[in-house]
Amino acid sequence: MTTPKTSRDHPASAKGPERPAQRGRPTMPAGRVFVVMLVCLLLWAFLFAPTMKRAAEASPDGSRRSASLAILRPFVAISDGLQITKLTDAVEQALGRDPDEAPGGELVVPPEPIPSQPGGGGDHGGGGDVHTRGPIRKPTRTNKLRVAVIGDSLASGLGVYMERVLRSSLVRVSRQGRISTGLARPDYFDWPAALSEIVDNFQPDLIVVMLGENDNQALRNAAGDEETSVGTFDWPRAYAERVENFMRLATSKGARVVWAGLPIVSDRGRWGIVERQNDVFESAAEAVDDVAYLDTWSMFAAPDGGYTAYHRDGGTVELVRESDGLHFNATGYELLARAVLETAQLEFELTPRVVAD
Amino acid sequence: MLFPTIDFAIFFCLVFLGHWLLNPRPLPWELFMIAASYVFYAWWDWHFVWLLAGVSALAQVGGLAVAKQRDPPRRRIVMAVAVAATLAPLAFFKYYGFFAVNATNGLSRLGIHAGPPLIQVILPVGVSFFSFMAVSYIVDIQRGDTKPASWIDLFLYLSLFPHLVAGPIVRPNELIPQLDVRRDPRHVDVGAASWLIFGGLFKKVVVSSFLASAIVDPVFGDPARHGAVETLFAIWGYAVVIYADFSGYTDIAIGVAKLLGFTFPQNFDRPYSARSLQDFWRRWHMTLSRWLRDYLYIPLGGSKKGQLRTYLNIFVTMVLGGLWHGAAWTFVFWGALHGVGQVTGAYRRTRRAQRGLPEPAETPARIWGQRIVTFHLVCLGWVFFRADSLSTAFSLLGRLVTGWTAPIALVNPLVVGTIALMLALQYAPHFTADRIVDRIAGLRPIAMGATFAMALFIITSLGPQGVAPFIYFQF
Repeated sequence: MTTPKTSRDHPASAKGPERPAQRGRPTMPAGRVFVVMLVCLLLWAFLFAPTMKRAAEASPDGSRRSASLAILRPFVAISDGLQITKLTDAVEQALGRDPDEAPGGELVVPPEPIPSQPGGGGDHGGGGDVHTRGPIRKPTRTNKLRVAVIGDSLASGLGVYMERVLRSSLVRVSRQGRISTGLARPDYFDWPAALSEIVDNFQPDLIVVMLGENDNQALRNAAGDEETSVGTFDWPRAYAERVENFMRLATSKGARVVWAGLPIVSDRGRWGIVERQNDVFESAAEAVDDVAYLDTWSMFAAPDGGYTAYHRDGGTVELVRESDGLHFNATGYELLARAVLETAQLEFELTPRVVAD
Repeated sequence: MLFPTIDFAIFFCLVFLGHWLLNPRPLPWELFMIAASYVFYAWWDWHFVWLLAGVSALAQVGGLAVAKQRDPPRRRIVMAVAVAATLAPLAFFKYYGFFAVNATNGLSRLGIHAGPPLIQVILPVGVSFFSFMAVSYIVDIQRGDTKPASWIDLFLYLSLFPHLVAGPIVRPNELIPQLDVRRDPRHVDVGAASWLIFGGLFKKVVVSSFLASAIVDPVFGDPARHGAVETLFAIWGYAVVIYADFSGYTDIAIGVAKLLGFTFPQNFDRPYSARSLQDFWRRWHMTLSRWLRDYLYIPLGGSKKGQLRTYLNIFVTMVLGGLWHGAAWTFVFWGALHGVGQVTGAYRRTRRAQRGLPEPAETPARIWGQRIVTFHLVCLGWVFFRADSLSTAFSLLGRLVTGWTAPIALVNPLVVGTIALMLALQYAPHFTADRIVDRIAGLRPIAMGATFAMALFIITSLGPQGVAPFIYFQF
C-alpha cells in the first residue's frame, strides 16, 4: 500500500499498462504464431508422450483415461520408432528418477537401528475387544516406540498430526502417506510391497492405516491388468481379500494396527460405496488379530447422521473439513490423530505418556 | 482450468484461432470471447458461472444507475448501494463461515447456545478478483473516470479469461477501450509473450513446486521437528515460493493476453529489492496495491485529514487488505504487521521532515541495510500468511531461537542455490530480459516452435507430476 500525500492522481504504485513492445523488435502475424504453437505442442507431445502415457495408465478408470490413452498411443509409437523414448528415459535417469518406476513413486525405508535390549512385543493376553497378543510395549528414550502412518492423502495429513500429538522423546513416527493411492491399483503404487519394506526395515510397533478413498474402481494387478471390475458381485469379496491380506502383512512381525475407516463425505451419492468399504474394513479387523478399527464416519457426522464440516465440543464449534467435502483441515486432522491414539490406548494399552498435552 | 495443463493448452489453441478469425467482426468476437471465458471458469465448477454472471449484472445495473444521477450526493449514495450489492456475494462466500464460527463461539461463552447456521460455504475461484474489478467499474463511473460500458463490453471486461481467476486486477479504463478497437493481427509480440509464459511456467512448475516440497511444506507442517537453520531457510524459501507462484501466474496471464493483442498492467517489479515496506507494496501485487489505495485508503480520507488519521487509514487499509486474502486471524495479523510497519515508516519520515533533518547519504551500506531489513520484515509477515494458525506461526518463530543444534538435512545445496538465485534475480536489470526477448522474436516459426517445445519439455521434466493450484486462487 502506498501512502500518497494528496489524492488519487498521485504517482501510481502500479505502473499502469505494461511497457509496449520495444520499437524494432520483430513481431509475427497471428497465423504464424498459431503455427509456432502447433509445432511446439506437437514436438513436446512426442518428447513427453511416454511420461504422459505412464501417468494416464495410472489414472482412475473412466472416459478421460480411455481418451488419453487412445490419443497418446500413436505419439508413443512414433516416439519409440524415432528412439525419442530412449532420450526421454535418459533425461529421467539424469534427474535421478527411474523411468520404469510405478507412477505413484516407490517407497524407500532405510533399515532402522533397533537397540538390542528387550522390549519387543508385550505378553500374550487380553486387551479390549480386539484379539491381541497383549499390551503394546512401553517405550524408553533409547528404544522409542515406532509408529508408521500409511495410506492415501488422508493418511498424509493424519501422519503430520500424529507426529505433532506424540512426544518425540518417546515415539518415532514414520509418515508414509502417498496421495491418490489405495489397494485397488498396485500398478500405480504397490502398497503391499511398500508395507513389506516398512515392516522389515522400520519394524513398527504400531501401524496406523487410512486408505480406501481411491479404491472405488477396477482392481488391477501390479502389471496393470484388470482382475475384478468395479460394480460386479466379485468386487466386494476380492476387495475384502486384499484388505485382509494387507492387515495380515501389517501384523506379521508383531505390530499392532489401528485402521481408521473412511469419514463421512459431503457427496451423498457416495455414502453407500464408502459405507460398504467401511463394512469391509471393520469385518476384516474383526477377523485379524491385533487390528483395531476406528469408526471415523460417526465421529465426524452431524448429530442427525448427515454431513457437517464442523465439530462441536461442548459449546465450542470448529471447522474441521476442507471445502472438498472429504479431506480434513489442521483442526480435523488433530482430532483424528487424538482419536487414533485413544483407540490404541484402549485396545493395545498404549501408555498415555507418549501423548503430548 | 489451470494454465500449466494440457487442457489449457488445447483450450488456448482453439481460442487463439477463434479470436483472430473473428477479430474483424466485433459482435461475434465479443460473444465468442465471453463464451470461451465462461467455459474456462466453468472448468472448475460450472455452478459458479451464475455467480460471475450475477456480479457482472449487478455491476452493470449499479453503474448505469450511478451514471443516471446528476446530483453528486445522490450519485454517491447510489454508488455506495451498488458497491455494497456487488460486494455482498463476496462477503457471503468468503466470510460467512468465519463469522458463523466466531459468533457461535462468542455467544457460547456468554452462555447462549445458539448462533447462525453452520454451513460450509465453498469459496468460488476468483470471486475476490472479479468483485474488485466490478467495484472499480462502479466507483470510476461515479468519479467520472470512466463511462458506462455496453452490457457485452462489461461482461467481457469482468470475465476475460487471462485475468479472471487471479488477476492482475485490470481497471475499466485500461481494458474496456481495448475491447472496442480491432487488434492488429499482423503484429503479435510473440517474443515478449513467450518470455512471460515460459518464465512464468518455470517459476510455478519448477521453482515453486520444488521449494514447497523440499523444505517449506515439511517445516511449516510440523515446526517442532525442525531446527533453527531449517526453519530460517523454510521462511526464506516460502518468500521465494509465493513470489514464484503468484508472479508466475501473473506472467502467464499477461503473456497469454499479449498473444491475443491485449496489454495488461504489470503486477510485480522485483519486490524483494524493496527498501521499505511502502516500497515493497509498490512492487508486490501492484494492481491490488493501487486498488486498495484508490478505493479504500483515499475514500477513508487518505492523508488529507491530519497525521493521526493518516496513520489510522494506512493501518485500516492494510488490515482489510490482509482480511481480503482470507477469513482467518493469521491474515488479519499479517495485514496488521504490514500496517504497523508502514505507519512506523511514515512516522519516521514525518518526524525527520518536522525536525528539518536532511535525508541521509545514499551509501551502499544504507541501501543494502534497508533492503535486508525490509526483506526480513516481509518474511516475518509471510510466516503468519503461510501458517495454518497463529500458534503454528509463533511455534515456528520460536524454533528460530531454540533449535540451533537440530539437524539441517533439508538445507541442501539445491535448496540454498535455488533460493539464492531467485533472490539474486530480483536485482537483474531489465535489459537482460530484453536481449533474450529480442533473440526469441528473431527466430523463424519452425525454429521458434522447436525451441519452445524443448523449453516446455525441460520445464515439465523438472516439475512434479501434476500441478498444485496457484496459491492466489484461494483468495
